Amino acid sequence: MSDTQNLLRDTTLMQALLDLVIPPSDDGKLPGAGDLGIASAVAKSLASDPEIEAGLRAVQKAARDRDPRGLVALSAEGRLEVLESQLGTHPTLMSGLTRWVYPAYYQHPRVLEGLGQPGRPPFPGGFEVEETAPDLLEILRARARKQGSG
Amino acid sequence: MSNEPVGVLVIGAGASGGAFAWSIADAGMSVLCLEQGPWMKQRDFPTNNLGWEARSTAEFSPSPNVRGLPADYPVSDENSPIKPLMFNAVGGSTILWAAHFPRFTPRDFRVRSDDGVALDWPIDYSTLEPFFNLNDRMMGVSGLAGDPAYPYHEPPLPALPFGKSGNTLARGFEKLGWHWWPSDSAIISREYQGREGCINLGPCTTGCSQGAKASTDITYWPVAQRKGVQIRTGCCVREITVREDGMADGVLYHDEEGILQEQKAEIVVLACNGIGTPRLLLNSQSEQHPDGLANSSGMVGRNLMFHPYASIMGIFDEPLEGHHGPGGCSLWSHEFYETDRSRGFLRGYSFEAVRGMAPVQSAVFGRATGRIPWGTPHHDAYGRLFNHTTGMVAITEDLPDESNTVTLDSELADSHGIPAPRVTYELSGNSRRMLDHAVERGKEALTAAGAVDTFAVPLMHAAGWHLMGTARMGTDPKTSVVNEWGRAHDVKNLFVIDGSLFVTAAGVNPTSTIQALALYVADSIKKNIANLFD
Repeated sequence: MSDTQNLLRDTTLMQALLDLVIPPSDDGKLPGAGDLGIASAVAKSLASDPEIEAGLRAVQKAARDRDPRGLVALSAEGRLEVLESQLGTHPTLMSGLTRWVYPAYYQHPRVLEGLGQPGRPPFPGGFEVEETAPDLLEILRARARKQGSG
Repeated sequence: MSNEPVGVLVIGAGASGGAFAWSIADAGMSVLCLEQGPWMKQRDFPTNNLGWEARSTAEFSPSPNVRGLPADYPVSDENSPIKPLMFNAVGGSTILWAAHFPRFTPRDFRVRSDDGVALDWPIDYSTLEPFFNLNDRMMGVSGLAGDPAYPYHEPPLPALPFGKSGNTLARGFEKLGWHWWPSDSAIISREYQGREGCINLGPCTTGCSQGAKASTDITYWPVAQRKGVQIRTGCCVREITVREDGMADGVLYHDEEGILQEQKAEIVVLACNGIGTPRLLLNSQSEQHPDGLANSSGMVGRNLMFHPYASIMGIFDEPLEGHHGPGGCSLWSHEFYETDRSRGFLRGYSFEAVRGMAPVQSAVFGRATGRIPWGTPHHDAYGRLFNHTTGMVAITEDLPDESNTVTLDSELADSHGIPAPRVTYELSGNSRRMLDHAVERGKEALTAAGAVDTFAVPLMHAAGWHLMGTARMGTDPKTSVVNEWGRAHDVKNLFVIDGSLFVTAAGVNPTSTIQALALYVADSIKKNIANLFD
């Protein structure tokens, strides 16, 4: 097994990375991306992108330079510093992470509920929408072309 | 599988194929449709699942190049800033369309006479009017009668509700004194002909799980089948065969197992869209038609028109709930539809309101435009965007240009080895100026509606839904492919009924007009049945 595969299979590491991409909200309504059980799905998507793999290796190496146990051993500030230190040489790392993390995060029921939305698929429940405003309809009726007028 | 000869062979079961087959079934001839895609099931559409947004960019992407499903053929599109979109199934692209359903206006058929550009159509609005009305009833159209931008017509169902986003936008247009009106929408606002009304799922463009959005697999096809029309899915047509006298003889096609079959027919009808139809004609070379079928004019595949789209969105302080309700159907504006030479371009455009962005779409859009960063500021930035946007797209009229083409790619082919289409298209200066104008006017409307910020995509690349002009109709065989009722000038038992027919593109979505044309061609065949091949 390659070093990269080990990195991607390291759930703790992936959770830490995902929490850097989307941390929990200050008000506690929205979870961090690392807390949703989406790490393995994101890792699976990342495995197909060699540039992101290289970026992850660089992050972990930079973290181990600080602490042999790697990124998860660092403080929140330390993790952020390490990640940011690698973005210059691995510019596609964050775009690659967000590409997969954002969709996985924003279709999770806990996140939808945190946003005040129902944590369910659109169908079969559907949604209510506001009716067309009566005053607007009155304006339209006054302007309407009448039958036979062209 | 029986390949007994049939009277009428329709290739393609989409918007036009469904309407045509339903109508022509009354002619008393046997009718068979070959469709390369499958029947879709509403229970399989993405909105049945929480992960619907992710699926909308994968197997339900509107791009055949992204989907790469067995029913799809690839399109070589690197030489076009607008990427062609389509869907291959019974229902065709109506499976994934937004169902915005404007008609062409009377002046859209006479742009040469009125504005000195392009060509006039050989038919006019009044010719199509009864077929527009019939089609509205068959598809199930919601709207409000009396739009001053159109001749009077009555949609069979009440207009869809605007929602907060539409009410907000309407007030912006009203403040400026600009035209606005509830859209005609091929989405039923209440129960209609056995279909349940819209429940505001939001993402119409991933397929309607409710069945409230009209797609021809649930409108025309069930009725056509009850009339005896046969439909055969998974069939990819390789070429149209011809007799010694040059008339169409039938087709060679690959069946679901990939086996090459031959189907004979008295009449062959092309309903494969503005890219698929010229592709098939060009792939049908023979001794009698060395440059492709029906192509003595050299016009097959020329004059490809899209609708260049701009997207203009606004951010509002108040929540707008724009991610609920039919995303592409609330109101339209024809304020800038007609030519005004002082604007610096000829012809014009319509605005089509779009309600808002769904949760993932908001995040992806924010990421792509740098508005939603990762890390600590993420939630604040996301909260300013999600549920707080609404806006519009501008649909601009693309003028025909012979150098915009569909040809055959010399290398790319589909899974059966059939040469793929190659699209070569350049955005005109006229269209560019129109898009720029639309962006500024759209921002003006949004600001008037109360937007605190606006942003625009001045040319949407993944927006090549409307494929038109590549086998256009006309009375002159030197400058057109088919006559004024869709019959090929060169091959009198060959008909075209899709967007390829269009002479000009107008500045509105084309499907209502495509289907009206298909019904009109079917009606013309029925009326001329005694001397059809004279």
